[in-house]
Amino acid sequence: MTVARRAPSVVLPLAALVVAVGVWWALTVALAIPPFLLPSPAAVVARLAGNPDLYLTNAVATLRKVLVGGAAGITAGFTLALVVWAVPVLERAVYPYLVALRVLPKIAVAPIFLIYFGVGFDTAVVFVALIVFFPIVVGTAAGLDRTPDSHLDLLRSVDAGAVQTFLAVRLPHALPDVFAGVKQSVTLAVVGAVVAEWILANDGLGSLILAASENVQVDVMLAALTVLLAIGLCLYGGVALCYRRVAWQ
Amino acid sequence: MIHVENLSVTYGDLRALDDVSVDIDDGEFVTVVGPSGCGKTTLLRTIGGLETPTTGSVSVDGDPPAVAQSDARLGFVFQDHTLLPWKTAVENVTFLRRMAGKDPDPDGARDLLATTGLGGFEDTRPAELSGGMKQRVAIARAIHLGADVLLMDEPFGELDEITRDEMGVEILRLWRENRKTVVFVTHSVPEAVFLGDRCLVVSGASAGGAGRVVGEFDIDLPRPRDESVFGSEAFGKQVTRVRSALHDDA
Repeated sequence: MTVARRAPSVVLPLAALVVAVGVWWALTVALAIPPFLLPSPAAVVARLAGNPDLYLTNAVATLRKVLVGGAAGITAGFTLALVVWAVPVLERAVYPYLVALRVLPKIAVAPIFLIYFGVGFDTAVVFVALIVFFPIVVGTAAGLDRTPDSHLDLLRSVDAGAVQTFLAVRLPHALPDVFAGVKQSVTLAVVGAVVAEWILANDGLGSLILAASENVQVDVMLAALTVLLAIGLCLYGGVALCYRRVAWQ
Repeated sequence: MIHVENLSVTYGDLRALDDVSVDIDDGEFVTVVGPSGCGKTTLLRTIGGLETPTTGSVSVDGDPPAVAQSDARLGFVFQDHTLLPWKTAVENVTFLRRMAGKDPDPDGARDLLATTGLGGFEDTRPAELSGGMKQRVAIARAIHLGADVLLMDEPFGELDEITRDEMGVEILRLWRENRKTVVFVTHSVPEAVFLGDRCLVVSGASAGGAGRVVGEFDIDLPRPRDESVFGSEAFGKQVTRVRSALHDDA
């Protein structure tokens, strides 16, 4: 017990990972599972190491969609939330739909995009942007209403302007909610990019997984999944790190 | 000089203040005491330009409150400390000056924090300060703004009684050193008597809920005052007089 309590927070999760991979490895050996059903961890690593260029090229392709689409969706969502928040008539007219549309499975829209925009990088980016959009709108809109009235009174008492009040008080008060939206969006952006690569584009890790599936190359699929996991974790970690720099909570 | 003449404030069907007239001299410390919901906060906020008179008028040195606001002549201290949680103590003190378009003067802010007992906490954020310390920062912020008039809305309402008494002594010292006009709203009769040159009793009971000034008392306790005042006979008598004005009305 005491050892477990004193251990740094990474040690136990790391130990669990080692055990899990060990069990996986032991099972493939002990039960003599054929590699085309479940390859051993070593086989997956061998795939990655054997053809690093393949995974790197596809990872870059996927990452580009995530970053470009994510940035576009976040910018659009933040801007729309600002406009809707600043114009009360618009807020009352549009906001209910923005909330309702969150429920729509955006993935189901991909085939429509295929008809309108065809296959390619741009279509994939628009699709990622669409998926990222909603959490940002809702997070930003909620955050902008978070400023306590007393803080607004304080600024009114020295006759501060609307823009000044927004930048000095409203925006900082909104940041925790905005970042909660960004964190959600980053995860969704990777999902969006993979789905886009199945339906709307022919490159990237999503396409690689799909092609490997058709050839029953489970080791290639697992190798690609490992890279996707790494991408997702890095992005999420990056946002969390950013948040810590600006956070006040 | 603050001049309030026949002031009534109505929110929809709700009459908050009814025909209030008060004059407050420069450098005077006026306390406004009354039960919750009697309109005393509305009076303070209307003097500070945060509420608009329905009828009657308010002027600060001859100007409407809006003009006094834009000249940074009004320093508010609210019950909620209203410190920005992402800013340090000294940044919070300079914040209002920046918002008012004045030179933030961080050195002056540090000196002021040191004299209010917050030396060593200048670069600390509000989350790590006690309730009393946060309210000290908020008071320092209002003084640092350079306002002639301090408008204080139950600033010690959320503090424990011991801290509250200490803060009372502290605010009197700051008032003595900075020579501000102070309007101080509270629901504590002893606090109102301890602090004020003059104590206005506001109550809504006789006018169907709308606040009226039902009593006005000159507090002739000698200054400077400190904690020893609380035990004196003169203090007790004043408190009794103010209390009876409140209860006569109810």
